[in-house]
Amino acid sequence: MLPPPFTPAFISRLECLRLRTRKEFLSNRPGSYSSPRRGTSLEFADYRRYSPGDDIRYLDWGILARSDRFYIKLFREEVDLFVYLFMDASGSMAFPSRAEKFSPASSVALALAYVVLANHDHVKLHLLGGTFSAAATPFLRGRHRIIELMDFLSQVSPAGQVEFASALGEHLKRIRRPGKAIVLSDFLLPAPSYQQGLNLLRAFNLDIAVIQVLSNQERRPSFPRGGLAVADCESGLEARLEWDTASLANYQERLERHNRELRSFCHQAGIRYSVFLTDEEVSEFVLETLPTIGLFK
Amino acid sequence: MEFLNPAALYTFLLLPLLLLAYLIRGRPRRMVFSSLLFLRDLSTRSTERRWRMIRLPPIFFLQLLLLVLLILALGEPVFSVRPLQVAIVLDNSASMQAREGQWSRFELAQQQARNLMGKLSARARIDVYQTVPRIERVGEKGLGSAEARSLLSSLRPYDMGDPPVDVEAEIPRLKKEMHYEQIYLLTDHPVQGRSDAVRVITVGRPQDNLAITSFYLSRPALVASRLEARVEVTNFFTKDASVELSLKAGERMLAARTLKIGPRRRIETAFEGLPAYPYYQADLAVRDGLALDNRRFAVAPTLRGLKLLGISPRPEALLSLRSVPGLSVKVIPPGDYAKIGVEDHAVEIFHFSAPSMLPQSHALLILPPAQNPLVAVGRALTRPVVSDWREPHALTRYINFALFRPTYARPLRPLSLIGETILESPEGALAIAIEHQGFRYLVLGFDPFPYLGSENLPVSIFTLNMLQWFQEAGGSGGTATGEFLPLNTQRGGILVTPQGEELSFREGPQLFSRTYFQGVYQVLRDQGREYRAVNYQHAKESDLNHPAPISFPEHGDAGASGDLFSTLRPYLLLLSVLLLLLEWFLNPPASRSAADRRGKPARASSTR
Repeated sequence: MLPPPFTPAFISRLECLRLRTRKEFLSNRPGSYSSPRRGTSLEFADYRRYSPGDDIRYLDWGILARSDRFYIKLFREEVDLFVYLFMDASGSMAFPSRAEKFSPASSVALALAYVVLANHDHVKLHLLGGTFSAAATPFLRGRHRIIELMDFLSQVSPAGQVEFASALGEHLKRIRRPGKAIVLSDFLLPAPSYQQGLNLLRAFNLDIAVIQVLSNQERRPSFPRGGLAVADCESGLEARLEWDTASLANYQERLERHNRELRSFCHQAGIRYSVFLTDEEVSEFVLETLPTIGLFK
Repeated sequence: MEFLNPAALYTFLLLPLLLLAYLIRGRPRRMVFSSLLFLRDLSTRSTERRWRMIRLPPIFFLQLLLLVLLILALGEPVFSVRPLQVAIVLDNSASMQAREGQWSRFELAQQQARNLMGKLSARARIDVYQTVPRIERVGEKGLGSAEARSLLSSLRPYDMGDPPVDVEAEIPRLKKEMHYEQIYLLTDHPVQGRSDAVRVITVGRPQDNLAITSFYLSRPALVASRLEARVEVTNFFTKDASVELSLKAGERMLAARTLKIGPRRRIETAFEGLPAYPYYQADLAVRDGLALDNRRFAVAPTLRGLKLLGISPRPEALLSLRSVPGLSVKVIPPGDYAKIGVEDHAVEIFHFSAPSMLPQSHALLILPPAQNPLVAVGRALTRPVVSDWREPHALTRYINFALFRPTYARPLRPLSLIGETILESPEGALAIAIEHQGFRYLVLGFDPFPYLGSENLPVSIFTLNMLQWFQEAGGSGGTATGEFLPLNTQRGGILVTPQGEELSFREGPQLFSRTYFQGVYQVLRDQGREYRAVNYQHAKESDLNHPAPISFPEHGDAGASGDLFSTLRPYLLLLSVLLLLLEWFLNPPASRSAADRRGKPARASSTR
């Protein structure tokens, strides 16, 4: 049983979508994504002179008639796609509660995975942190595997502190095939930390997309006025401060600046970036927001 | 400016609680958040301004001001006008002799009084009063400060209990009559309520104390030569006490024993077989609050030869008493009573006769005529039944009243003096005992004489009981301080007080009233020396742990609505403070309300 956002209408619309990649990846299996190698797809790629042994079915008869020279038409190779979903499962993803942040983020991840599975491509979900023993799913293919993915996510309890770059590095050690990487996280990290992690992904020649997940509480904390001892839900560290409207404005300004830096970095690094606010509809975000950043064809 | 209720000012000590409440409330609330990334800088800035963490809101200062004003109001400030007509009433009762460290309470009161006088205007006129034996002025009227100080220093406390007068009513009356602007009462009694007429200054603290509350000597039998002493000791301690009680005759130690007494208990002990001495002294060897009540004196009961003077138209009946060993009986006709004057006899027996006025000796009146100073006499009865009798009583012991049937009787009714009915018949009292000014009077409505010995045992036993009752009156526990000491000699004499003061007195019946100090008073006559014991007998005052409070009504003219308001004023003020604080605690702070209005309280556990 799929979670509430996955209505039949939503699923049917997801089936119409395909992930868009900026890069071409090599693969052994035929699929619908272009490969840098020449192959047998319908999409024309180039010409080359005929050499004995070439399949005369690919001779360009028009050029031969006009110039009496033999040229062979080359076509692109179309291969299947490997998609890696990196899901942040650190403690901050359960703030203010699992249902308010991690579950909506999981729904987004499921929707993306479904798009991949519906196109007979491969998807693998990696957890960054969390208490679940398995750090990642196996490669999944086919619509029916969405259930496994959903079960996997339902068992995850976001907790603990995650070193973003090193956690990504651990997962990347096991990745053999290039493909598309989609990172879902709140990115409430220092800039050097997330930049180092995203650069790691870039180094692996992955086509990267970033979805920043933020709850309403994080955008506009509703602390009571006065003295506060605020504890970090991951590290337990405590900061004492005096909270008032000026503090709120200051906080929001800093968050905005942080998000701006993240967006700027993604833009410069060729990474698709989008913000998912957990109080908005998952279907609306997937069907309307993500296409605008070019994540879907 | 001074305060009528200065105790309320101690409430100022509670003011820091308000600050404490604010500090507790100002303690940072613990919240949990997803990341401190953007809060750390804020935290740094806040820590730099640490003083802001204990920043107090303006409402604090408003509440502080309100509380200060309320406490001042409870203290009832008055702008003092230095009075010019002042009375200083010094409590000089026995309890003021109690020690408070190196000073006695009386000395402390004297110091307080001197301090008071130092604050008075130089033109102030001071009258000094003492409370016992009655509230009366000592010294001249309208003394200057120096003279009043000198007079105060010369005063000393008496060995007497508090006066029987109502101090609470007497002092306001004094103020009204003497037109004093201010009266200061210095006492060791706590005060309840407040009086506009008098400012009470209490000295001393509750203390543990042991006291001899009773000491008397008696003969176990009418003609016994050895004496028996009974001593009652009361423990006003809050714990068990072990104390040594000794019995002395002058400087000679007769007996001693150790008593163990529970808290707030009394114990009676007897010393038997005592030889005859002029007087005896019981001593408690203990260091307690009040030394005065650790000592009592008693003199031996009248000598064995009890002298009786009979006044009777029928002398034979009274002369039958001569058959009782140790009695000396002289009978005269009623007409000779006026001629005989003062004689040295122990008891006068008026048989079918009565004196025109109260006799100045112990007296037994048997079937007195209607014209007598003690009782009204009813109609004659034949063989009345004794329906009730006082028990236990020295007069009724050992008697089987079922067999007690006088052949003739007349019921009695006391006149002005309050008497104790000893025997009662359905028609009225048959025997009434009266004690007045140290004398015992017994009036009988029947005739127990002649003394028939074993032939009429109930009446004979009653007769012997009567004689012993009169005999015990001579010695026993002595007179209480402040009571009159009867002096009765034919040729006058000299009274020597315990302080060694010698006072001459004339012949005839007289009463010595200045028995202010405990001790043995000696009456010197031609025939010899007679001893009288005077003791401090105010057990209630010995209880230094529970002194009787002086209760002033809040306002004498209570009932008016204004007075009612004044009575309730402190409570109304307190109520308003409580309401203020309650409102403050119940009303959520503005920031929290705002958070609630946003509809999403922080998940964080907020702990205080």
